[in-house]
Amino acid sequence: MNPPPQKTSPLSRRQFFRAGARVAGMTGMGLLCGILAPRASARTTVWQIDPAKCLRCGRCATECVLTQSAVKCFHTHAFCGYCQLCTGYFVPEPNGLNTAAENQLCPTAAIRRTYIEDPYYEYAIDETLCIGCAKCVEGCNRFGNGSLYLQVSQDHCLNCNECAIGRVCPGDAFRRIPIDHPYLLKTTSH
Amino acid sequence: MSELSQPTRVTRRRFLWQGIAGASVLGVMGGLAVRAVRSRQGAEDRAPNPFAYEMGHFEQTDASLIAYERVAGFRCPRPDPRRLTFDARGRLCLAAGNYVSLLDTAGATLSEIALPGPARALAAASDGTLYVGLRQQILAFDAQGQRRATWDPPPGKPWLTGLAVSETDLFAADAGNRVIHRYDRSGKPLGRIGERNADRNVAGFVLPSPFLDVELHPDGLLRVNNPGRHRVEAYTVDGHFELAWGKATAAIEGFCGCCNPINLAVLPDGRCVTCEKGLPRVKVYDLHGEFESVVAGVEAFPENAKAGAGDGMTDGVKAGLDAAVDATGRIYVLDMVTGDVHVMANKPGQALAG
Amino acid sequence: MMNQVKRRKELRGAAWLWALGWGLGRSVAEQRFPPPDFESGYQLPLTQTPAPRSLLLQYVDVGILAVALALACYLVYRRRSRTGVLALSLFSLVYFGFYREGCICAIGAPQNVALALFDSTYALPLTAAAFFLLPLAVALFAGRTFCAAVCPQGALQDLVLLRPVKVPAWLEQGLSVIPFIFLGAGLALAATGSAFVICRYDPFVPLFRLSGSFMLLLAGGLFLLLGMFVGRPYCRFLCPYGALLRLASIVSKWRVRITPDYCTRCQLCETSCPFGAIRTPVALPANPLALAPERKRLGWLVLLLPALVAAGALLGSRLTPVAAKLHPTVALAESYLDPHRAPTPPGVQTPESLALGRAEQNPTELIASALDVRRRLGTAMVWFGGWVGLVIGVKLIRLSIRSGRTDFEPDRAACFACARCYLHCPNERVRLGLMPASELPAIQPLPAPTLPQTGSHTT
Repeated sequence: MNPPPQKTSPLSRRQFFRAGARVAGMTGMGLLCGILAPRASARTTVWQIDPAKCLRCGRCATECVLTQSAVKCFHTHAFCGYCQLCTGYFVPEPNGLNTAAENQLCPTAAIRRTYIEDPYYEYAIDETLCIGCAKCVEGCNRFGNGSLYLQVSQDHCLNCNECAIGRVCPGDAFRRIPIDHPYLLKTTSH
Repeated sequence: MSELSQPTRVTRRRFLWQGIAGASVLGVMGGLAVRAVRSRQGAEDRAPNPFAYEMGHFEQTDASLIAYERVAGFRCPRPDPRRLTFDARGRLCLAAGNYVSLLDTAGATLSEIALPGPARALAAASDGTLYVGLRQQILAFDAQGQRRATWDPPPGKPWLTGLAVSETDLFAADAGNRVIHRYDRSGKPLGRIGERNADRNVAGFVLPSPFLDVELHPDGLLRVNNPGRHRVEAYTVDGHFELAWGKATAAIEGFCGCCNPINLAVLPDGRCVTCEKGLPRVKVYDLHGEFESVVAGVEAFPENAKAGAGDGMTDGVKAGLDAAVDATGRIYVLDMVTGDVHVMANKPGQALAG
Repeated sequence: MMNQVKRRKELRGAAWLWALGWGLGRSVAEQRFPPPDFESGYQLPLTQTPAPRSLLLQYVDVGILAVALALACYLVYRRRSRTGVLALSLFSLVYFGFYREGCICAIGAPQNVALALFDSTYALPLTAAAFFLLPLAVALFAGRTFCAAVCPQGALQDLVLLRPVKVPAWLEQGLSVIPFIFLGAGLALAATGSAFVICRYDPFVPLFRLSGSFMLLLAGGLFLLLGMFVGRPYCRFLCPYGALLRLASIVSKWRVRITPDYCTRCQLCETSCPFGAIRTPVALPANPLALAPERKRLGWLVLLLPALVAAGALLGSRLTPVAAKLHPTVALAESYLDPHRAPTPPGVQTPESLALGRAEQNPTELIASALDVRRRLGTAMVWFGGWVGLVIGVKLIRLSIRSGRTDFEPDRAACFACARCYLHCPNERVRLGLMPASELPAIQPLPAPTLPQTGSHTT
């Protein structure tokens, strides 16, 4: 049996340097912690669209890292016109004011149209179908009250460090807002 | 054992040369990749929006239908203009922000009236009284610009958007209550016009947005726009529904979008001038309500067309047009987005029927 | 009537909520036109606002990270169990990878820290800080156990490793500077608030999410394909956080020791490492004078280092305008100022023309912020250029230092602590009772040092 070779210790100097470097490393990280502590926060921020800046360019549908964008159309009913001829629901020259597919503006038929009373109709967004393309938002803003608008749906958003849509947003409409109030809803007063 | 005799060390020389070679290859590849990515980005930027809301040919006006040309124009002296009308002395009254400016026909300010809030409606009586509609109140000013009366707000949820005045009566279009109030000249309520009433065959005003205008027609009837129904209606001063005309289409002969026309003006001979939003355009309809000609098409208001009606940061009504007619039949068109007033006159040699 | 009053009250409450959501800085002045009064008693629905992921779950993530790190150290150093490490890495792949969809991850965390250091308005998420600091602190003591069993990106590559081939040493050494350069670029761009390139070009996160741009999914697939033959290609040749862990584990207190007892130099372990991290024993020359030319060269290299740094910094500052163009604000400002810019066509607007429209509305603000970005990037590019020079210089110096060793042992920096090599050591097999001690191979002699070839010095 071979005896294990005796370990000479030419490395003692290296070990000393290592220990020193380690201490320096820990000190550095401690310092970093000290600097970062006041800036770190459990109240993180989330991405959101400022509806006042949104230009309805269509990129929310195409640029999100998710296959079906986390951006959805939101609807503030409190200033919706409940129009019979909703320009967010119907194509510009519809054949008739009915729910036939060829009359619908939405590429995924994500808007539900419900009769309330003459001549008013309610429009509601089906989030599972909405792809955030803003076609209806443009229609509603163009002619109507702008009660349809885009928001980042926070249960879908992955909260990427750098929002892939925000990077290419022509309106510079994406910004981080506190997680406590994660929406920038359009309101009845402003 | 060959591994042992050739330890996994790299000579510096080999590292240098191969490193330089490798780095240059990587650099060239990286450069190409960056260029590829950038050119792709550029292409994406220039690519049209696959989900664009396209109005197509409706954004262009057939030139042969345009019977008016711009003969003059000026900028509003104050920001946030909303309405304009002519008073009995031929001065242009322009409501902008918390002021009514009285201008001469070239746009020079003659005098100004300060208001407690933004004016949304104007009407000038033949005796020189100027009635100004704020959101909830009607104010009366004499010819010198002194406030003579402040009327009580109408009951309900008033949102005044239009005024018309005759020798004896004042008609106030109230979009909030979806009604035209009839007052005598002292402010005493006389009646309500246009309220939904199946017995009187009145369908009621459908107003998704605060645009309800009322004008007095030479035939003695009121002309009121009903934007949600895409038509102009005529009522007697007693509230009898007489007639309606207009149809919903983005084509030039109809009223586009969800809710148009938004504002009205009446030419001296009784033909009606209509203003639309969304596809901003001003048109003339004959005495029978048939489309006659275009005063100014979408091309004339590029900024307005871009802005959209729902964008307005005031209350959703900044993106529109208003029109007033002077005694000679010239049409003054106000673009609320840019704050420009365009003076439109008949093209020479263009004989108009009616 | 009661019904109406109630509804109006509800509406007012809702309006307050909306006003809160809308944020500060907007005066509540003018009201929007309300919908009609419905005669059928219809109630206005409230806008649905789905809540984001609960804050509490953040702490769960950090807790799982800490436990996983501790468990990894235990499995690598105490249990010396490859099976345990594999099992833990599978868990990490499922939890941090497919469940948390690769986000939060330590690889991108240095960017958050850099941004927090330079932008006082940025609220650094606690998870990002923890994911940056914890694995690094562990690496200072126990090497890259994070890479071994906690990082989902590493676990994924480890799993697909099918038939490892040895990467030539020159290529390995050459490519190993890339993570440091990538780290520098990522930190520089993040600190200036320009971009998060490390996140943007992570090839595996789209695979975890099963969605992403086609190019990135393709890159992820190619990396996995490459990873079947080259052990952990991303970890070794790209991962910027790996670069930090390398530095930390160079000075780590504990390290992976292949043999539990003594090294027979049987060389069995070296072939077991798919990452080329095991260094062969080599003796230092008995006569130090034989190394005199190498020492002289080392001296020159040390002198060259500041020159390289300076050259890099100069190059960096020269490249600032090019780099700044990658920033959307600068790109927009430049295309706005471009005298040959085509006028915006009427009709349907492209995103580009929409952006230019925005530029036209407030050009001074845009140009000012573009100049500000360029100024900040200019500083960052000088640092980045200097950093690249430093990395190359230090690499050259490292290659000129020879160190002797008597045992087969893993390179401190390169070892992922994956625990593969343990079972290949005859002494370990003896320890585990898998092999009788009598079958241990004899100790091989220490190979002689390779001396510099004097013939190649002429150039």
